[in-house]
Amino acid sequence: MQILRKTELKAYKKAKKIGQKGVIEILSKKGLVGRGGAAFPTARKWQFAIDTKSDTKYVICNADEGEPGTFKDHLVLEKVPENVIEGIIIAAETIAAKQAYIYLRGEYEYLKPKIQKAISSVLKRSGSKVKIDIVVGAGAYVCGDETAIIKSIEGYRGQAYLKPPFPPVEGLWGKPTVINNVGTLANVPQAILFDDWDPHLRLFSLSGDVTKPGIYEFPMGVSLKKLIELGKPKNPVKAVYFGCFGGCMPYKEILLTPENVCGQNCVIGAGTIIVVDNTHSIVDMAETIAKFYAFESCGKCTPCREGSKRCLDLIAKIQSGKATKQDCDTLLDLALHIHETSLCGLGQTATNHLITALKYFREEFEQKCKLH
Amino acid sequence: MISLKINNIDVKGKEGDMILDVAKRYGIDIPHFCKNDRLERIGACRICVVEAKGQQKLIASCCTPIREGMEINTHSRRVMEARRTNMELLLANHDLNCVTCKKNLSCKLQRYAEEMMIDEITFSGDKRLYEVDHSSISIRRDNNKCILCGQCTRICNDIQTVNAIGIQNRGFHNKIAPPFGMNMHESACVNCGQCVIACPTGALTEKSDIQGVIDALRSDKFLIAQTAPSIRATLGECFGMPPGTPVTGKMVTALREAGFDKVFDTDLAADICIIEEATEFIKRFKENKDLPLITTCCPAWIKFGEQFFFEELHHMSSCRSPQAIMASLIKTYYAEKIGKKPEDIVLVDIMPCTAKKFEIKRPEFTGEADFVLTTVELGKLFKLLNVDFINLEESDFDNPLGESTGAAAIFGHTGGVMEAALRTAADWLTGEDLKEIDYKKIRSMDTLKEAELTIGGKQIKACVVHTLGEARRLLEQIRQGTCPYHFIEIMACYGGCIGGGGQPLPTDKERLIKRTKALIDEDEHKDIRKSHHNKSAIKLYKEYLGDFGGKKAHKLLHTEYYKRDYV
Repeated sequence: MQILRKTELKAYKKAKKIGQKGVIEILSKKGLVGRGGAAFPTARKWQFAIDTKSDTKYVICNADEGEPGTFKDHLVLEKVPENVIEGIIIAAETIAAKQAYIYLRGEYEYLKPKIQKAISSVLKRSGSKVKIDIVVGAGAYVCGDETAIIKSIEGYRGQAYLKPPFPPVEGLWGKPTVINNVGTLANVPQAILFDDWDPHLRLFSLSGDVTKPGIYEFPMGVSLKKLIELGKPKNPVKAVYFGCFGGCMPYKEILLTPENVCGQNCVIGAGTIIVVDNTHSIVDMAETIAKFYAFESCGKCTPCREGSKRCLDLIAKIQSGKATKQDCDTLLDLALHIHETSLCGLGQTATNHLITALKYFREEFEQKCKLH
Repeated sequence: MISLKINNIDVKGKEGDMILDVAKRYGIDIPHFCKNDRLERIGACRICVVEAKGQQKLIASCCTPIREGMEINTHSRRVMEARRTNMELLLANHDLNCVTCKKNLSCKLQRYAEEMMIDEITFSGDKRLYEVDHSSISIRRDNNKCILCGQCTRICNDIQTVNAIGIQNRGFHNKIAPPFGMNMHESACVNCGQCVIACPTGALTEKSDIQGVIDALRSDKFLIAQTAPSIRATLGECFGMPPGTPVTGKMVTALREAGFDKVFDTDLAADICIIEEATEFIKRFKENKDLPLITTCCPAWIKFGEQFFFEELHHMSSCRSPQAIMASLIKTYYAEKIGKKPEDIVLVDIMPCTAKKFEIKRPEFTGEADFVLTTVELGKLFKLLNVDFINLEESDFDNPLGESTGAAAIFGHTGGVMEAALRTAADWLTGEDLKEIDYKKIRSMDTLKEAELTIGGKQIKACVVHTLGEARRLLEQIRQGTCPYHFIEIMACYGGCIGGGGQPLPTDKERLIKRTKALIDEDEHKDIRKSHHNKSAIKLYKEYLGDFGGKKAHKLLHTEYYKRDYV
């Protein structure tokens, strides 16, 4: 796997040699984009922070991998933590930050000693003066949002806030801050060092009704069918969920590009594929995911706080057999409403799974309803 | 200038203006809950959403800046449906006991529900249920009516820096409460009530003392009311009169009709307060000791100081607040004069302030004032007694505690106490009857204002702050020894007492300015505009209190402060 190729601080040495301009140029030329899901060009993000005048700047490594069914960052942190740390010091020295934080998902706390060891080793061997601290999250899904990470590190409630200003301009403690995903930072030294580094390779987290779940590395545009067959599903596959936030689609062959997935009214995000076979009910899926979102809503804005609970109430009613088809309409309207009016990315995507499930699998909901 | 279209009408605004504010200027008041002009805009309630042409999602108009060529629709079908759904989501989690709510007919949630013609709520299911927190002497907290707009916590944390309440738990289980399961009484709350006037619903209201007053009025006790300087400038709003309408005469008549035997003016006590405070200031200024001197009329500020800045409290004037001075005089001097025992007199203070309810319960003031009613409560009392307020004749305060000066009138707005104190201090330091007595620099709504005067080659630097966050910054300076001032006025509430926690809603800046103007007008139309020229006050000292700042004056007109723990 490309992602596991060790760079052994050679990229850092090269970065020192080519300097700030050289690093930005090389990352831009090689086309490194964010691996957190939004695919924003990394060089541009860093350039915003470089262009903002400030005596203090920060780098944050987003290791709050909380999306259900996603475990690619876990693999990277487990297998090549040194690459990530090397990416962090390159990022920090490029934007002139003296301090970096790794915001580690609460559930990954057991990785902390390993990461700590990698930090010590990399800093010692490289001679870099960048200070790197690990901040362990408290388990809130919303803290994967970059503005919520900032609040959490500052010691406040982990809640998203309005952008602009964007973090590279005004972030942690009001200072320019670059926030990159683990996968992005692990790719930074590789992109700088290896001539044969392929910008199109992505990690796909495959799970659900498959007998061989795991991380698979493929270029963007890989066949969905090929990927799922590698997972060796036991029963006929009915649906594919792109994580919880990405929505679901009936299983069929498509090439996995952001555009193609968008064409199915879904979002590919960080390459999460949850397989659902014909032994599972989509309504059960809806209930499980809706529970997750009701629990993870931070409560700041009305539609997500109140709406996610009412979605759950409506699904429970459908499950109980007391609902009518009218309730399915109400559920869809509410799901669209939450998507349309919520404050942050969590709320805006919290009902994608319902909107798509009611589009593609409405009959499963209606079968549970009373006849009138 | 930026040009855009709102509802197909060409409008203009400045760079950085938000859609909601521009729409308001052009006559469309987009509904909103979490927006407050004094607070950071958080875009949380999502009631103010509007549609922008070319944008997929609806946007929050309170925190989206205008852009050239934007085409905004504030009431498209899609917008109205989204707004209605958000309202229904809020209502589905609300107790909906409107007719028994203290905010009935003055509640924003109720108003919008009516305007949006919500006759049915689509959603049902669990509701958050909470016990009502009655623990505080000043503020009643009913989370069953809370819509989580977060204005109260932002006022308490960001503006007042008291941090008594915060948002807790996740999602649907969000609630606003003091930390660690404490109640309001146990919290660091200073009772200022700025959260009460920010709350759009009945979740935060003043603790009502109306029933106690009714019982007293129906007893055989001797009932006395005193009314604070700012009440006359705001009470009219409870009866639909325009903000800034002075209603002094009607208020006195109404109190008599309600059954009070005597109606006295706290303004007289304000004049006495200035005489004592100016005496104290001149002494400290001449000795150059314990400067700056800080005024202590505001009970919320006093508790704030006792909690957070105890080591700096020697800077506080030992002088009581006008309320406590009047209470002391009524239960001693006046009781003796009319030959009644203090316990046979029931004193009701009409105050702009929820913290005054706390102040009269301080152990050092035991047996003095019996009840505090806020402006809002007084309005309710008059309505309860069916007093036809608007059509009442006017009448004067009773004597001997009813005469006051222009200096006392301005106690009700920020800067007024300092202006009154400087008038007296300057006269006494120069030994003249100065004609230049208007300190206009300290009358504005800026939260930090300065005035300087030079007397006999010596410069006096005065400073006026309102809001406790501003006070905190000043006290940090005092703590570090970098504070350049000699004399400081601190008021906890924005705008001073006219913006107090017991004043009628709404209390936006324009209203506060109109209320302030009413007090300044009163001052300017008075024959006597200096506290030390108040004839009744002088007579009181001669007859009863002795010297200014003397032994008896100290016993009756001054007080002490205590260290308070807080969480």
